[in-house]
Amino acid sequence: MEHKKRRLLTLPAVGWLLVFTVLPLLIMLFYSVQADDGSGFTFANYLRFFSKGMYLKLTGRTIVWAVLVTVFSLLIAYPLAYILAKKLKGARGIILVLIIIPFFTNQLVRIYSWLIFLQDGGVLNRLLGALGLSSGDTLGILYTQAAVIIGLVHAYFPYMVITIYMALERMDDAMLEASASLGATKMTTFRRVVFPASMPGVVSGILIVFVPCLGTFVEPRILGGTDGMVIGTVIEDQFTELYGWNFGAAIAFLLLAMVLLSMMAISKWGRRYDV
Amino acid sequence: MKRNFLTRAGAGILSLVMLLGLAACGGDTNGETAGGGDSGEKTKLYVVNWKDYASDDKELMAAFEEEYNCEIVNTYMESEEQLLTSLKTASEGSIDVCLPNCTILPAAIEAGLLKEIDTSKLDNFFKLYERFQSQKECVGEDGKMYAVPFVWGSTAIAYNTELMSEAPTTLASLFDEQYAGKITIRDDYNDAVMAAAIVLGQDPAAPSDLDAIKDLLIKQKPLNRTYWQTGDEFSKLFAGGQIEFGMMWSGQAATMKNEGEPIAFVVPEDGAIGWVDNWAIASGSQNEELAYAFINYMISKDVQYNWATKGGPAPANQEAAEAVDPEYAAACGMDEDSLNRLYFMAYQDDATKAKWAELWTEVKAS
Repeated sequence: MEHKKRRLLTLPAVGWLLVFTVLPLLIMLFYSVQADDGSGFTFANYLRFFSKGMYLKLTGRTIVWAVLVTVFSLLIAYPLAYILAKKLKGARGIILVLIIIPFFTNQLVRIYSWLIFLQDGGVLNRLLGALGLSSGDTLGILYTQAAVIIGLVHAYFPYMVITIYMALERMDDAMLEASASLGATKMTTFRRVVFPASMPGVVSGILIVFVPCLGTFVEPRILGGTDGMVIGTVIEDQFTELYGWNFGAAIAFLLLAMVLLSMMAISKWGRRYDV
Repeated sequence: MKRNFLTRAGAGILSLVMLLGLAACGGDTNGETAGGGDSGEKTKLYVVNWKDYASDDKELMAAFEEEYNCEIVNTYMESEEQLLTSLKTASEGSIDVCLPNCTILPAAIEAGLLKEIDTSKLDNFFKLYERFQSQKECVGEDGKMYAVPFVWGSTAIAYNTELMSEAPTTLASLFDEQYAGKITIRDDYNDAVMAAAIVLGQDPAAPSDLDAIKDLLIKQKPLNRTYWQTGDEFSKLFAGGQIEFGMMWSGQAATMKNEGEPIAFVVPEDGAIGWVDNWAIASGSQNEELAYAFINYMISKDVQYNWATKGGPAPANQEAAEAVDPEYAAACGMDEDSLNRLYFMAYQDDATKAKWAELWTEVKAS
């Protein structure tokens, strides 16, 4: 009886999931196997994706960018999180808030700020010029791959800081002392004790940065110039400009498959550190 | 134990993100407003139109509402396709008049969504430019009229008068390597394909050689500083001095000029892209007579002249167009010479649209 009651309590959550996650997915799946001319079931939408080199190329570009953003985020976030968790004890709160500020900024405002900062004759350009570090009046960063990566790293690295920080924060400092008293150098302690202990945070950080990067399209479009098209743009165009819902749904499903596969791979890799 | 941590960290961040997402949604509540309505006895005329597009301008509409003792109720459309859907799903009498452009008119007429228009009931119809009196998209396959041209505009070239001493006079200059890195065209398959077709001497409404168009656009790609998509993106590119010239809408160029930007608009010698918005009466309208009066009013010289000088698009009424200060008209590309150089956007079926869009994706992925 008690057991039954408890199961009833999960009903709202399960119902929510069914109505707002499972059902929409099924509707999308339905669209993705419909022919545009209304003739019913077909795999043509999926075949179309693989029949043209450009869709694969755009997918490849998207993956490369997502990987780069994840790597740079990790490189920035890890030291930050380490300092926050282990070195700074007092100013922690303020710094965490500062790091989270990008969350509170509207996405477009954030992107346009980068646009103004990076453009030729913009803030960075003039700053470098004044320091004698750059000659001429063209910087050439905006509208390149670099600008997209910068914009995306700025948007997503705070997630990584938080997950890694939480992992490190929970780690008992006595472990560091124990490691040192057993004769380990600082480097060894980091490699054998600190890093493995922070792995859960690193893994969830990677997931939380990599996955949304696969589906992003606003930063690439505004900062990436003429080469700013990614697979997310293709999906957006299908839904908003072309009313090509069937093909759009098919690509979205392929992207979802990619996301699930990469999530599986990442968490499988992370599980090694889990015991 | 640690697995538990991973899920908890994930859940924490997810809920934070969702909270922020909700906050973002909550902020966007500027819905559409329909006319106030002081006395309940007035006849209501239901109009589907763009926002800030004359029929919701109190000043322009006051005389009409008074004369016919009626109230205009505006519903705003967000795209042509959406208008088509609204017409299909509207209940009897919920839409009287709407403003489809030429790209969807044939589809709306074919689906029986519009009423035939008897132009003899419209005194002002014969004051339209002759070309608009016989606009082919307004005529159904049965040879009858279903819509009346209202305003027109163009997608042509806007340039920065401070950065360029000489105006680019051809559409082909968008494809000229001499201007590499100083150009911007719109990230829009229709504009891109039509512009390339005009430059290649093909019929932009029915291009004969899509491969040549694709090759030309791929060659043009590195000449762009970037592609722009929203009007706002163009404004920022322009204001930041990132581009010298590019493809632009006549309407926005006029607005930017009025705001004091050093911008000039040209409809080049070799042509550019044009569009026409047309009034039509929905087949479910219960207010046909008032709808006729409304359309007649909207294409009258006074309304057309007043709106054009207030920053509206170019009038289809010839008398109104001729009354506009020639200098202003030329600067906004609404003079007759510009009109005659335009290739108007035509109706394209879904298969053609998909083909053009795929071509454009190939260009962008190249």
